[in-house]
Amino acid sequence: MVSFGDPGMVLKAFFPTCCAAADSGLLVGRWVPEQSSAVVLAVVHFPFIPSQVKEFLAQVQQTSQVGVAVLGTWCHRRQEPEDNLGHFLEGLSAIFSHEPWLQLCREKGSTFWSCKATRWQGSTSPGAPSEDQVMIVFYDQRKVLLSQLHPPAILPDQETGDAAAGAVGLAAVFHTVARSEVLFRSDRFDEGPVRLSHWQSDGVEASILVELAKWASGPICLLLASLLSLVSAVSACWLFKLWPLPFIWSKLSTCEQLRYRLEQLTLIFSPQKAENPSQRMRKANMCVSVLLDVALGLTLLSWLHGKGRIEQLADALVPVADRVAEELQHLLQWLMGAPAGLKMNRALDQVLGRFFLYHIHLWISYIHLMSPFIERIVWHVGLSACLGLTVSLSILSDIIALLTFHIYCFYVYGARLYCLKICGLSSLWRLFRGKKWNVLRQRVDSCSYDLDQLFIGTLLFTILVFLLPTTALYYLVFTLLRLLVITVQGLIHLLVDLINSLPLYALGLRLCRPYRLAAGVKFRVLEQEAGRPLRLLMQINPLSYGRVVHTYRLPRYGCHPTHSWGSLCRKLFFGELIYPWRQREDKQD
Amino acid sequence: MSAQPGTSTEVKWQKVLYERQPFPDNYVDQRFLEELRKNVHARKYRFWAVVFESGVVVQQLCSVCVFVVIWWYMDEGLLAPHWLLGTGLASSLIGYILFDLIDGGEGRRKSGRTRWADLKSALVFITFTYGFSPILKTLTESVSTDTIYAMSVFMLLGHLVFFDYGANAAIVSSTLSLNMAIFASVCLASRLPRSLHAFIMVTFAIQIFALWPMLQKKLKAHTPCSYVGVTLLFAFSALGGLLSISLVGAVLFALLLVAISCLCPFYLIRLQLFKENIHGPWDEAEIKEDLSRFLN
Amino acid sequence: MAYRRRGRHGHPRSATRYRAGRGNLYTFRTRTHNICMVSDFFYPNMGGVESHIYQLSQCLIERGHKVVIVTHAYGNRKGIRYLTNGLKVYYLPLKVMYNQSTATTLFHSLPLLRYIFVRERVTIIHSHSSFSAMAHDALFHAKTMGLQTVFTDHSLFGFADVSSVLTNKLLTVSLCDTNHIICVSYTSKENTVLRAALNPEIVSVIPNAVDPTDFTPDPFRRHDSIITIVVVSRLVYRKGTDLLSGIIPELCQKYPDLNFIIGGEGPKRIILEEVRERYQLHDRVRLLGALEHKDVRNVLVQGHIFLNTSLTEAFCMAIVEAASCGLQVVSTKVGGIPEVLPENLIILCEPSVKSLCEGLEKAISQLKSGTLPAPENLHNIVKTFYTWRNVAERTEKVYDRVAGEAVLPMDRRLDRLISHCGPVTGCIFALLAVFNFLFLIFLRWMTPDSVIDVAIDATGPKGAWTHQYPYSKKRGENNEICKIR
Repeated sequence: MVSFGDPGMVLKAFFPTCCAAADSGLLVGRWVPEQSSAVVLAVVHFPFIPSQVKEFLAQVQQTSQVGVAVLGTWCHRRQEPEDNLGHFLEGLSAIFSHEPWLQLCREKGSTFWSCKATRWQGSTSPGAPSEDQVMIVFYDQRKVLLSQLHPPAILPDQETGDAAAGAVGLAAVFHTVARSEVLFRSDRFDEGPVRLSHWQSDGVEASILVELAKWASGPICLLLASLLSLVSAVSACWLFKLWPLPFIWSKLSTCEQLRYRLEQLTLIFSPQKAENPSQRMRKANMCVSVLLDVALGLTLLSWLHGKGRIEQLADALVPVADRVAEELQHLLQWLMGAPAGLKMNRALDQVLGRFFLYHIHLWISYIHLMSPFIERIVWHVGLSACLGLTVSLSILSDIIALLTFHIYCFYVYGARLYCLKICGLSSLWRLFRGKKWNVLRQRVDSCSYDLDQLFIGTLLFTILVFLLPTTALYYLVFTLLRLLVITVQGLIHLLVDLINSLPLYALGLRLCRPYRLAAGVKFRVLEQEAGRPLRLLMQINPLSYGRVVHTYRLPRYGCHPTHSWGSLCRKLFFGELIYPWRQREDKQD
Repeated sequence: MSAQPGTSTEVKWQKVLYERQPFPDNYVDQRFLEELRKNVHARKYRFWAVVFESGVVVQQLCSVCVFVVIWWYMDEGLLAPHWLLGTGLASSLIGYILFDLIDGGEGRRKSGRTRWADLKSALVFITFTYGFSPILKTLTESVSTDTIYAMSVFMLLGHLVFFDYGANAAIVSSTLSLNMAIFASVCLASRLPRSLHAFIMVTFAIQIFALWPMLQKKLKAHTPCSYVGVTLLFAFSALGGLLSISLVGAVLFALLLVAISCLCPFYLIRLQLFKENIHGPWDEAEIKEDLSRFLN
Repeated sequence: MAYRRRGRHGHPRSATRYRAGRGNLYTFRTRTHNICMVSDFFYPNMGGVESHIYQLSQCLIERGHKVVIVTHAYGNRKGIRYLTNGLKVYYLPLKVMYNQSTATTLFHSLPLLRYIFVRERVTIIHSHSSFSAMAHDALFHAKTMGLQTVFTDHSLFGFADVSSVLTNKLLTVSLCDTNHIICVSYTSKENTVLRAALNPEIVSVIPNAVDPTDFTPDPFRRHDSIITIVVVSRLVYRKGTDLLSGIIPELCQKYPDLNFIIGGEGPKRIILEEVRERYQLHDRVRLLGALEHKDVRNVLVQGHIFLNTSLTEAFCMAIVEAASCGLQVVSTKVGGIPEVLPENLIILCEPSVKSLCEGLEKAISQLKSGTLPAPENLHNIVKTFYTWRNVAERTEKVYDRVAGEAVLPMDRRLDRLISHCGPVTGCIFALLAVFNFLFLIFLRWMTPDSVIDVAIDATGPKGAWTHQYPYSKKRGENNEICKIR
C-alpha cells in the first residue's frame, strides 16, 4: 500500500483515465499543498486564448468553491516529436504561473509517460529550477465523482496517526472531484470558447425522463404532504388525548407502528431538499423500505382474500382460544393435586387453584360472546395489510396479546404474591437472626427486638416458609407461560424491526454499484521503472455489508431489550414483573 | 562497624532503636525477654462455684427436655389440652408475681415497663397464636413427619448452642436462640391432632423458652439458695417425665446432666494446672472502659 | 563495610567483573548479592511493608547489589515492570484469597518461582511479612532449591486465642530452617523468638526508616490561635479508634479552642461520625477520609499535637513521621513504641481514655506555656534517627553473614523439621518438603536449568543500566591521570 499521508517530497499527480487519450493542452485541476498532490480534473485543448481560459476557470471557481487552476501542461505525442510544441508548452508556464509547474507527457503509444514537476522558488540558486519526484496516480473520474467516501471508524486503542492522515488526504481528493461537478457540465458537443476533455455522461436521452419526473414530483409531494399533515392533525385531536386512550395507544404495537410510518412518510414527502448525502440516503432507504413493506402487504392481502382463507382463519381462531383455555384448566387441575410429589400446602393450593379456574371460566364465556363477530373482525384486519406487512404483523402481535390476556393476569397475580412472600421472608429472616435493615445507612444493623415482636415475626416466618413452595410453583408455571407468549411476540417484533430498519436502498446500491459507497482506495502498480515516474491505478474499495447496515440503519422506534440475562434472571427470582420489549420503556408507573 | 569487645563492656545496652549502639544487630542482652509474664489473667476456680454456674446449662437442657416430653404426651393424647392450659396459666401467674416480689419491684422501676404493657404483650401472644392456630394445624400436612422431627431437633440444638448462658462470646445471640426455639415449637405444634392443641403448645413454648429463663436469671441473682433448689426440682421433674417415656433416654439424660454439672467443672479445675499463657508488651491492649457511654 | 572495602580496591566494578570472569565465584558472592524480595504486599497496594521493600531495594541497588521483587498481580498490573533505577518487579498471576494475600497450596507457585530464581541467578531470598502466604511459599521453595533465606517480620501476634496458636505453629515451621530473621524492633524480636521458638542469635533488629526529606515542618501552615490535634491511621479496632471516640468528646468539652483532624478510612469511621453527630462537633472534628501517602505530610503540618491510639504496633512509622514534621507526639505505650522515640519527644500513656486524655492535657499545657521545642529543631533531631541508607547497610551485613552460611541439606532439613516443630506437624511438613523436592526434580527434568534464559540484569554487579556509568567514570579518571602526568 502506498502511504498516502506521507508529506515527503514525492509529488502525487492524480490524473483521470479518460484524459489519457486527449489531445495536448493545459492541465486544469487543484493543487493540495498539505498532501503535495495535484488533482487533475480536465485538459484544455489547443487552441485557446489564455485570458478566456482564466475567465472560465474563475467562473468555475466561483460556482464550485474549489480552487481550480492551471497546473501545468499536457503533451500527447501522436506523431514524431515536434520540438516547437515542446518549447511552446514550456513557454506557457510564464503565462499561467503555478508552483510547482507540472509537465506531463505521453509518448507515442501508451507505454511511455514522462512527468516533470518544476519549482521556481525554494531551490538553492534562484535561476536554476529544482525538480521533484513525481508519482502519477490514475483514477476513474466517474466513479470517484459518484462515490461517497466513508472514512474508517477510528478505533480508540489503535495508533491512528498515519491512518488518519491518509484518510484526510483521500477525502481531499474525493472532495475536489465531487465539488467540481460544474466543470463536467459542458458537453462534448458544446461550442464554447474553451474546449475541454473530461468524463462525460452518455445517457443524455434518459435524462429527459428524469427531468420530467423531477418536474412532476414537486406538486405531488406537496399534495401528499398536505394529506399527511391532515392525518396527523386528526390523530393529534384532543379527543384522542382523553385519559385512558394515550395509555392504551402506547401499549398497542399497531398504533406505534402506524405512528412510525406516518413520521417516515412525512419526512419523505417533505418539500425540503436533503442537505447532505447521508440524509438523501436515509430518505431513499425509507422510501424503499415503505415500498417493499406495502408490496409484501399487498401480496399477503391477495393471498388472504383468495379461496376464502379469511373464513377458514376465523373458524380456526375460536377453537384455538378454547383449546388454550382448556389446556390451562387441565394444568390448574394438575397443580391442585400433588404435582410431581411436591410438598404443597393443600389449603392454599385449593384456594389459588379455584381462583384461577374462575378466571378461566370468565375468559371462556368472553370468547364465546365474541365468536359471532370474529369473522368480521378478521376481515377488517386483513384489509389493514394494504398499509404494509409490518402493520399487519403488529396487529397480529396485538391480537396475541389480547388473546393471552388471561395468562398475563395469572402471571401478575402469581408474581405479586410471590414477590410479597420473598420480601416478607427476607425481612423476617433478618428478624430471625436479630438484625434489621437500616434504611438510612443502607446496611444491615443488629437490633434488639421486643419479645412479642420476635414471637409474631417468627410465627409469620414459619408460616411463610412452609407456604413458599406452593406460591413458588404457581409463579413458576405461569411465568413459563408468560415467557412463551413474550418470546412469540418478541420474534414478531424482531421481524417488524428488521423490515423497518434495514437500509435496503444502501444495500442494493452496494450490490449493484459497489463504487458508490467507498471505504477507501487501493493502488495497483502500472509501471515501475527506474528513471520514469511511478504509475499507479487508484481503485475504489467498496464498503463492507456490515458497515453499510451499521451506517445507514434507520432508527428503531421500539426499545431494545434493556437488561441483560443476569438482571432478567434476578428479576424473575425476586418476582418483579417483566414486560415484552416494546413496553419496557413505558413501564414506569 | 562490628562490635569491639573492649568498649562494649563499658557501654550498657539500651532497648532503644533511635540510638546507634556499639552492638551487632543480633546481640542478645541479659534483659532479653525480661518483660515476659505468664498466666497474668489466670483465675483460681472453686469447685462448687463452678457447679453453681453450670446450673444455667442444666436448666436449659431440662427446659428442652420438658418441652419435648409434654409434646409427646399431647401427641399421644395422654394429656388434655385444657389441663395444660390451666397449669400453664396458673404457673405463669405465680411466676409473674414472683418476678416482682423477688427484687421488690426494683427491676420494673429500672426498665420503666408498665403493667399495661405486660397485659398488652400477653394479649398479643394469645390473640395471634389463637388466630393462627388453624393455619398452623394444616401448615405441614404434606411434609413428612421425619422432616419435621429433623428440623425440630436441629432448631432445638441451635437454641441450646446460641443461648445466652452468660459467656461473652461472638456466637451468643439470645434473639436467634429464642427464634429457633419458637420455630421448633411451631413445627412440632403443627403435628398435633387439633388446632386447640397447637395453640396451647405454642403458648407453652413461650412460657418455657421466653418467660422461664427471665425468672431464672432473677432468682439466681437474688436468692441463690432457692435457685439451687428450683434447679434440682426442675431437673428431677424433667428426668421423671422422661423416665415415663423411655428408660434408656432417662438414663442417658441423667448421665449428661451429671457430666455437665460435676465432671466438666472438675476437669476445668484440673486442667488449670497445665495452663501456660504468655504475656508481654507485644500483646494487643484491651480497652477496659465502657466506651458506649459516649454514644448514648 | 562493603563501601570501605570497595574504597580500598579503587575500581570496584571492574575488579568484580575481572574476578567473575575468572570464575572465582565465591569471592564475588561475598561482595555483592543477587537478592529476590518476595511479598504479597507491594505497590500499588500502600502500607508500611510496601514502602519498606521499595526503599530498601533502592538503597541496596545504590550499594551495587542486584535486586528483583516478586509479588502477585494487582488487577491489570501483571507481568514484569521496571521501577526507578531498573528495579524489576514480577507481578505473578496467582489468585488472591483474603486481604491481598494469595491462596497457597505450597506447591503451585514452585514452577514460577523456580523459573524466576534461576533466570535471575538469585542467591538470597528475602521474604517480607508473616501475613503473606507467598513469602512463606518462597521460603519453602528456596530451601528446597538450596538458596539462602532471610525473613523480615513486620507485625506482632498474641498467644492467647486459637487463631494465633495456629499461625504461630505455621510460623515455627516456616522459620525453623530459615537462615536469618530480621525484626523491626526489640519487642518484635522477643515476640518472634517466642512464637517461632528460635535461637535469638539468628534474629537481628533493624528498624524501619522514614525519608526525612518527605516530612519537613512548615509552621506557617498551622493556626496558632487554636490547638489542632492530628490523627492519621486506618480507622480499625487495632488502631484504637474506639479510644479516639472517647477522647474527642472529653477533650472538646474541656477545651473550646481544640480541633481534631482525622485522616484515614476504615470500618470504625462510623463510630467517629456518630460521636461527631451526637456532640455536634462538625466544625471542630474534620474527617478527611483515605489519604494518599504524599498527602500525609500536608495534613501533619496543620497540627500541633499528633495522637496515636494504636493497641498494638511493632514499629510505629506514623509517630516518627509526625515528630519529623515537628509535632508533639502523644501515644499509647504498646508494642515497640517506647523504643522508637526518646522520652523528651513523646508522651507515653496507658491504652485508656483517661490516661490518653491526661497525656494530651499535658501536651496542651506545654504548648500553651511555650515549653515545646520549635518544629525545626525537632526535625533536625529526628532526621538523624532513621535513614534507609542505614537500614540498607545493616541489612547488607545480614546478607554477608547469610552468604557465608551453608544451607541445610535435605536430610538435615527433614531432621530439623521433625525435631523442632513437634512430632505431628513436623512429620507432615517433612513429607511436604519431600514432595516439594520431588516436584522440583520433576521440573528440573522437564526444563533443565541450563535451558532457562538468563535475564538481562538491569541493576547489580553486571547491570545493563549501570554499564555506561563505570566506563565513563573510568575514562574520566584516565583523563585525569593523563593530566596529572
